[in-house]
Amino acid sequence: MSSISTNNLSIKFRVYHDRSPSLKEFAANIFKHEKIPAYTDFFAIKNVTLSIQAGDRIGIIGHNGAGKSTFLKSICKIYETFEGDILVTGRIAPLLEIGAGFHPEFTGRENIHLNGAILGYTKEQLKTIESEIIAFAELDEFIDTAVKYYSTGMYMRLAFSLATAVDPDILVLDEIFAGGDASFIGKAKNRMSQMIDRANILIMVSHDHHLIAALCNRVIWLDHGKVIADGSPKEILERYLNGQVIS
Amino acid sequence: MIKHLTIITRQLLTYQYVLRQLVSQQIVLRYRRTILGYLWTLVNPLMMMSIMAVVFSTLFKADLVSFAIFLFAGMIPWNFFNSMVAQSSTSFIQNEGLIKKIYIPKIVFPFSTAVALIIDSMLSFVALFIIILAIGGPLSWAVLFLPISFLLLFIFSLGVGLTVSILTVFFRDLQYVVGIALQGLFFLTPVLYKPESLGGRVAWIIQINPIVPFIDLFRTPLYLGHLPSVQTISSACLFAFFSLGIGLLIFIKQEKSIVFRL
Repeated sequence: MSSISTNNLSIKFRVYHDRSPSLKEFAANIFKHEKIPAYTDFFAIKNVTLSIQAGDRIGIIGHNGAGKSTFLKSICKIYETFEGDILVTGRIAPLLEIGAGFHPEFTGRENIHLNGAILGYTKEQLKTIESEIIAFAELDEFIDTAVKYYSTGMYMRLAFSLATAVDPDILVLDEIFAGGDASFIGKAKNRMSQMIDRANILIMVSHDHHLIAALCNRVIWLDHGKVIADGSPKEILERYLNGQVIS
Repeated sequence: MIKHLTIITRQLLTYQYVLRQLVSQQIVLRYRRTILGYLWTLVNPLMMMSIMAVVFSTLFKADLVSFAIFLFAGMIPWNFFNSMVAQSSTSFIQNEGLIKKIYIPKIVFPFSTAVALIIDSMLSFVALFIIILAIGGPLSWAVLFLPISFLLLFIFSLGVGLTVSILTVFFRDLQYVVGIALQGLFFLTPVLYKPESLGGRVAWIIQINPIVPFIDLFRTPLYLGHLPSVQTISSACLFAFFSLGIGLLIFIKQEKSIVFRL
């Protein structure tokens, strides 16, 4: 059974101020003892303790910069934790930024293998799903062309087909995406909803409240890295939307 | 430390397919759409070394053939070390896009650079070795020692590479310092000349230069035709494991911070 639990999870970022002082300022600063700091630290996630069980369909809501994407990335191990810990059982499919590992000089087929390997597919798995990916992406003709010659739609189609080729236990989504022409979007949406149905756990970030209400059975409201509310979609969404209007 | 080492080994094993893909990316990609393709790996150093052999044998008034063998044997380890350190200095910075978007054990990046470069180095060694034999270099059983030379050189350079790859993430200036340092080190390392030639007040530099035993590991079997001395082998071992130890220590300590500093 898949599960995710975080205990007192905090993630600290350091923001660099990319401003070199002018010569005059530099000279003036020599005599000052207090230095202008080159960076500031801030917490994108602060003391988040959550337990997510199989069957949970979680929607994460919050303002821009609330720490939603950072939270998803920490579940996917991209940001490693300094304080607190996070325990994940089950295979994760991070659909955060698809096509991130594509190499422009490589052909579509080579990218299936390179990016597929990074996504955690085995060599044997990739061999069996390769033709299925190519067919789904409708790229038979161009699969041995370097990806840098692809149109945006072709690129998106390949990335999407690859990322969704194997059903994961835990599906992590940062906004639902679908690129390409109308017929592909239809196909992609179909596959997406199948994946969501079959996934053991779904965690998604979206600003589309109707989508969250339709897909999720639990909503977590994040603000400034902290959990403000956690509960049924109807209740939390209502509070969130009302709160947004007032403040 | 032991716990971390098993983690790193396990990561490399689990991600060996990614590693293979990255290595072939480095080896194959450079020569896409060129006519000679991978042959450039062999042609490139060969050309450089031939020019250097002609120029410096004239300058030093040395016999061209024996100088060429002398130079080739020293350039193989130097070139590997040089490329390893230079490429490591950007290995995380160049892969920023990947590191920030998807989880990959960080060790995969410097390690794949090292593997790709050692493959390059061994292949250009084969080409050079054929040339050395063709122009009349010595062929002796000592050549069989070279796999050990490559192994020690690999360990040593990987250690330095790991250190440099991490440090450049935190101190971006280091990218440029590395270039200058390598250039300087090249002249302070007896690749073009015999170690005895750098006498006088700077002779101590040769004594403490950690690259010197690695040059010897290649030069003694290829140029002199006998096994390296026990002293050379033991100091090479010492430097290799010391370097890898430091590299791993820094890596283990900072691995998790890399993503936040890119």
